[in-house]
Amino acid sequence: MKLDVVMEDKGEGIVVLRVDGDVTLQTSPRLREALKPLLTKQTREIHVDLSAVKFMDSSGIATLVEGLQWAREHEGQFVLHKLQMMVRDVFSLAKLDMVFDISEADA
Amino acid sequence: MEQSYLGQLNLRLNSQPDCVHILHAMVEVMAMRVDLTDFETNRVALAVDELFANIACHGYSSAIGPVEFEAKIHHNDAGFSELHFKFRDYAAVVDMSDWVCGGDKPCSAADITPGGLGMQLIHSIMDVVEHQPLSGGNQWLLIYVSQQQSCVKGEEHET
Repeated sequence: MKLDVVMEDKGEGIVVLRVDGDVTLQTSPRLREALKPLLTKQTREIHVDLSAVKFMDSSGIATLVEGLQWAREHEGQFVLHKLQMMVRDVFSLAKLDMVFDISEADA
Repeated sequence: MEQSYLGQLNLRLNSQPDCVHILHAMVEVMAMRVDLTDFETNRVALAVDELFANIACHGYSSAIGPVEFEAKIHHNDAGFSELHFKFRDYAAVVDMSDWVCGGDKPCSAADITPGGLGMQLIHSIMDVVEHQPLSGGNQWLLIYVSQQQSCVKGEEHET
C-alpha cells in the first residue's frame, strides 16, 4: 500500500501537506517523514489536507499529535482539513476531535 | 454456520507492518458475510488493526515474530451476529497496565503512551476485549456484536 504526501509551500511560513492513501502502521512513517522537517521555528502554519484519506489508525493520529505539540510549543497553527467521515470517527473515538483544530474548508 | 467453512477464516502471518492490510481484507470479508455497514466495518477493521499494531510494535518491539489470527462468526441467543477475532503471538507476556490512555476523559497529547491510544480505540469499538497471558506468549480475543439481525450472505449455499 502506498501513501502519497505532497508539500506545498505557500510562503511566509505557511505550508500545506496533501495526504493521499490509507494511513496505517505501514504507511504512517511516510507521513512523519514529510511532517517532521516542517516542525521548526520558521514555520507558522501547517495545514494538512486529509480529504483523500479513507482510513487512519492510531499510528497516523500519533504522527499528527506531533504537529499539535509543535503548534503548542511554537504558538503555530496546525489545522486538519476535510476529514472523511470514517477518519473523523477515529478522532472522535480517540476523544481527540475537540483537541485538534479541524476545518471543513479547503486547505 | 458456526461449524461451516463460511463462518471461519484462519491465517498464520508475521508481525511485519504490511500484514495489517491482509487483516484488513479478512475483516472486510467477514463483515460482508454478516452484513455490517461500511461504518461498522471500518470500526472493526480499525480495532483489529490496532491490536495487530500493538503486538508488532510493543509485543515484538518491532522485531518480526509469528502471529496467528482467527476470525469467526457466531450467532448469539438474541439473534444477532457476533464477529470473534482471536490473535495468538509468541512475544513476551504483555503488562496491560502499560497500554492505557485517557479513559473516559478526552485524550491530550501528553496522555498518549505507546500502545495506549490503540487500546483506547479497541475498547471503544469492541464489546469484549480479553487478554490471556500464556507461557509462550499472549492470546487475545476481540468480540464485536453486530446491531444487525443474523443474516449471513452465502449461507444458503452451504453443503
